[in-house]
Amino acid sequence: MRLRNARYAAVLAAGALSLTACSAGGGGGPAADSGAKAAADTITVGTAADSVGPATPVPGAKKGGTVYDLEQEGINHLDPAQAYTQETMIVSQLFARTLTGYRIDPKTGATKLVGDLATDTGEPSDGDRTWTFHLKSGLKWQDGTAITSDQVKYGFERLYASFETEGPSYVQTWLSGTDFRKAYQGPYGGKSLPDSSIATPDSKTVVFHFLAPHSDAPYAMALPDAGPVLKSKDTRTGYDNAPFSDGPYKIQHYDSGKELVLNRNPYWDAKSDPIRQAYPDTWDLQLDISQLNLTQRLMAESGQDKDALALVAPADPSQTEVIATDPAKYKSRLVSQYQPYVEVFNLNTSRIKDVKVRQAIAYAMPIKQVQTALGGSPQGDLGTSLIGPTVAGHQASDPFGKLATPQGDPAKAKQLLAAAGVKHLTLTFAYRNEDRWQTVARTLQNAFSKAGIDLRLKAVDATSWYSQISKVDNPYDIYVTSWSADWPSASTVIPPTMDGRLLADGDPDYSHLDDSHVNSEIDRINKITDLKQQAAQWQALATDIIKNDTPVVPYLYDKYYNVYGDGLGGVTYNTPLGTINPGSVYVK
Amino acid sequence: MLRFLVRRVLAAVVILVLISAVTYVLFFALPIDPAQLSCGKSCTPQNIALIHRNLGLDKPVPVQWWDYVSGVFTGRHLPLGNCPAPCLGLSFTNDTPIWSTLMDRFPTTLSLGVGGAAIFLTVGVGLGLLSAWRQGRLTDRIASAVSLLGQSVQIYFIGPLAIFLFADRLGWLDAGHDPDWSSDPVGSLSGVILPCLVMSVIFWSNYSRQTRSLMIEQLSEEHVRTARAKGMGSAYVFFRYALRGAMGPIITIFGIDLGSILGGTVITESTFGLHGLGQLAVSAVLGTDLPMEMGVMLFGATAIVAFNILIDACYAFIDPRIRL
Repeated sequence: MRLRNARYAAVLAAGALSLTACSAGGGGGPAADSGAKAAADTITVGTAADSVGPATPVPGAKKGGTVYDLEQEGINHLDPAQAYTQETMIVSQLFARTLTGYRIDPKTGATKLVGDLATDTGEPSDGDRTWTFHLKSGLKWQDGTAITSDQVKYGFERLYASFETEGPSYVQTWLSGTDFRKAYQGPYGGKSLPDSSIATPDSKTVVFHFLAPHSDAPYAMALPDAGPVLKSKDTRTGYDNAPFSDGPYKIQHYDSGKELVLNRNPYWDAKSDPIRQAYPDTWDLQLDISQLNLTQRLMAESGQDKDALALVAPADPSQTEVIATDPAKYKSRLVSQYQPYVEVFNLNTSRIKDVKVRQAIAYAMPIKQVQTALGGSPQGDLGTSLIGPTVAGHQASDPFGKLATPQGDPAKAKQLLAAAGVKHLTLTFAYRNEDRWQTVARTLQNAFSKAGIDLRLKAVDATSWYSQISKVDNPYDIYVTSWSADWPSASTVIPPTMDGRLLADGDPDYSHLDDSHVNSEIDRINKITDLKQQAAQWQALATDIIKNDTPVVPYLYDKYYNVYGDGLGGVTYNTPLGTINPGSVYVK
Repeated sequence: MLRFLVRRVLAAVVILVLISAVTYVLFFALPIDPAQLSCGKSCTPQNIALIHRNLGLDKPVPVQWWDYVSGVFTGRHLPLGNCPAPCLGLSFTNDTPIWSTLMDRFPTTLSLGVGGAAIFLTVGVGLGLLSAWRQGRLTDRIASAVSLLGQSVQIYFIGPLAIFLFADRLGWLDAGHDPDWSSDPVGSLSGVILPCLVMSVIFWSNYSRQTRSLMIEQLSEEHVRTARAKGMGSAYVFFRYALRGAMGPIITIFGIDLGSILGGTVITESTFGLHGLGQLAVSAVLGTDLPMEMGVMLFGATAIVAFNILIDACYAFIDPRIRL
């Protein structure tokens, strides 16, 4: 989960109509769950040949010009090791390269995981415990210094430093265990990680030795923190404002929370880069703009806004209807795609202990009305699986028939409550104290009353939402959260949200599920080295959890939905991140 | 006069210390842990503890507050970097020094505040004078209607309308951007005209109505009648006698309105996508960035208190009874 967005800033995603082949919706009613499958199917693992640059050219594209990016959030961190929000993750691609990355076909939208700095997606050995990456030739930093394997190792060593707390921690945990800072405190004390963790036998080879098998290591190496850092340019916390570039652009000007201007890095070689075409000369990112303001600017596209887009920020919900109902004006410059977020109603299993009652709630849940209250189809499509359409293995799964009766099935709910011997059920629904969630709360209250459930509403301050509902002893029965896969594998969805052994305040198992069967299944599936087989097993477990434990009621697959200025071309979509792909954008 | 100023400055310092303490208490009264929001996915108890230490949240609240207040004068060495005096801390969300961020954002808010105030004082007082001058006539009614219109609308309503009409459709004015007076004064001026105009609308009605009633009141005073009886011209009496008497209360209202102007900039900055202190305050609250909240709060409070002292000094200068 990328935390800032998980705090629902970007969960207010939106959607309709389409750009590339994997689009959905149409500004009207909800698309069927089965229609979502295409997005995940377009993400595959590429070969060494796919990892050779340059990136696939966009027909008719030309170099030059300035692209303006309007964003609702500030970019709080430029240090790639701290990047864990959609904004920081996608923007880091402009100036920081990683061992692997996603190559996106500008015509079809098909996405392949390929080697970025590495010649391929890595060679596994020792039952996927050991992964070897070879660096490409001719890679350089922004001052012309060659990129070497020991700089890659140093980049990973920095992740252990006490100030690097906001980024992902997959690789550190895989190398040194959950309490990885106890094993190693970072490179600033003069010590290096032992070769038994990361070895660099020559200047172009990096070997990772994990404690356990990790078949999806190539995906983890596409996260922004999986890249080199030049020791002489490492200013520790200062690196967060002025990182040294090995990507197509370098930092020209950065005004935190206000503006980031990037211009060309002359030492970047397009022939080494299979991911980025880098057509514009300059990227001007204007930050911390209200969602309404940036949407209206993109719709009006006056002046320089003709060359503007929003890499991450979706359209303001108040404007989506205007955009959807005027296709003549907006269709040609509209992007509507799935984001990696799945919205769920959490049922607090510590308080609602009887699974029949949880299932009754699932039947009673009026997901269609909730979708409407949140802004309709542009916000997202109705979805009933824990594993969203951008994740490998996604299958339509709907054990409670929610897509057939999205308005809720109070009769079936009553029947289950009677079977459970429950009369006069009273539950507490906690919601973020914002307009749209107040509407959702009232919608639920009405629908639940038809099922004989008295729903008490509890407004919670929006800024403290996750702090409050992530407490193990929270006093609420039902609440809404969302979760995003970090890469297109459910190994970044099911274990963190459903493993009861990790339960603690702040843990994302928000429903407090602690089922020994689920826990053992997580261990078993994690050991499967065939990713395709693993994906199928995750989906089977997800369906099993919803059907038999019902700790959550999934209801929406979020969408990115926004327009961009007509002066831009090559606007493609990065499905794993759920953002516009800056690598192919050009100024007409 | 000096004693009066010293008294006011000392009182201002006490007010600012109280504001900082209350803000601290309010922040920690909320059930929010900023560490949890900065913890990423791997939010283990160890990571939470580390972030608490990095942010200085591992100490008791009174100690944190004292470190904060003393750091304003002495600077601080924080786990995430040095913070030279005047140190208002480092942002919880991006580790940047609060003071430099405030200095970066202040020109936008100052431009809006000064520009907006200049417009609403000119238009508001002007309309009020016109109404008083033409009391009961068509001009008075039109001026009153315009004032009423200003009183009936809000920035977030007329802002988008103004952008649509004057920037997008007619292209007469810039839709608003942050000023950079040193390198581009002309561009800066064009970037703040529309936001200043929009912000001024909600204020001018009050000044128009106040000025009108004060002027009518002054015009019925005996010294004004005496002046007229002595054969002085209407315009001379109006501006030399009546207006002078009305200006004192208008200045007082302006002093009271300083806080509202700062509030007005919050909405104006959000509406026009400008990066000033108001928008910074909103982001800080939404991001539970305590140092930034404190910084904006103290900076705004200091500015308001300082302006009020200045206005009091002006007033005391005009009316010696105030100094007593």
